[in-house]
Amino acid sequence: MIDESTEPGTGSRNIPALLAELRSRKQSRTVRLTGSPGGTLHLRDGLVVAMETPAAPNVESLLLKSGRITEEAWSAVCAADTTHDRLAEELVAQELVGGGELEIISLSALFDAAFALSLSRPDGWEVTDPVPVLYRNPGITPERLVAEISRRTELLADRPGSVAEFARTRMQLAAPAQLPGAVGALPARLQDVLTNTDGRRTPRDIAFALGRGLFAVMLDLRRLLALGLVQSSAPVAPQRPSTATRTPSAPVPAPPAAVPLPRRLPGRNTPAPTGTPSETP
Amino acid sequence: MSSLDVALGDALKTQGIGGAALLDAVTGLSYGELGDVSGSQDACEIADIARTRLHQAGAEGDLESVIVTTATRHLVTLQVSRTGDPLLLCATVDRNRTNITWALRDLARHADDLLR
Repeated sequence: MIDESTEPGTGSRNIPALLAELRSRKQSRTVRLTGSPGGTLHLRDGLVVAMETPAAPNVESLLLKSGRITEEAWSAVCAADTTHDRLAEELVAQELVGGGELEIISLSALFDAAFALSLSRPDGWEVTDPVPVLYRNPGITPERLVAEISRRTELLADRPGSVAEFARTRMQLAAPAQLPGAVGALPARLQDVLTNTDGRRTPRDIAFALGRGLFAVMLDLRRLLALGLVQSSAPVAPQRPSTATRTPSAPVPAPPAAVPLPRRLPGRNTPAPTGTPSETP
Repeated sequence: MSSLDVALGDALKTQGIGGAALLDAVTGLSYGELGDVSGSQDACEIADIARTRLHQAGAEGDLESVIVTTATRHLVTLQVSRTGDPLLLCATVDRNRTNITWALRDLARHADDLLR
């Protein structure tokens, strides 16, 4: 018997603890995370079946942006199921996407959103009654989610700087002169990432543009970074003007006393001390 | 039971296949596992090394399969193409109960059914 007397989650310290509590009570709930970027966690019988966040593409984005289904077909499915309770069944019944394929997309979006949400700490959360969401998977235990997030964070940990910082860094192509040749040998997947790297887009933006997972795009970018084909753009946030107290600049060096000007000696061709290019005959 | 588990279950009905797992070829995420899958833990990494090194060695086209063989087993990793990032179908094959050609043929057939 589920104890409904107290609202779950009020005493939980963090999201994993909250999910573990909902799991032990086998509850079907929706958890809304506040903060930036924020997100929504959907639980059925204590297991997580979907997660959505503006920081990573959801199932709908993955289906539409990757070109798997068209906008018209998607609108038709939404119109056929106005409550959005049976979207997954509708998609498979109309043969727009295979059952196994939709399960893979649903799982990849779930773990990707979990990874994206793990990069920032939520301000707070609210546990509500379940709301309809597009999913097709048997549900994931909180332990598996936590283990997969750790695995992903470790995979990206070899880069300098934090993983969260990497996720919001604008990426740009390296010097164009280095590109030809090396690009042709790359798999099409990496070439697509290169095409979408324009100096303005972050890994998240590239993931949305391609209809791929944030983590997958970050792994590809890591490889392109290692190959020297992309680099991070100049810092995005404008630098705050320095408010440090001004220290008097070093006193202007007194003009050197009677040092004679450098003179070119016949037969010797040493570079000028000022660093100007030497004149080679 | 999920559609993927059903499809993996069908693969396991093949003589000599002791375990099967479906992984994401890019992220390494496991979408489904059935039977003995202890050998497929690092399949994503192994396939990635094979893919990268073969390309560096001048091989053209995409990776199809990686087969690692021990005295008693084959660890077969098939790359399954689809719209979007490819998948890896990994299977543990008992060398005493089947041969690699049969196993590959059956696995390729099951790979096609996985996404339906």
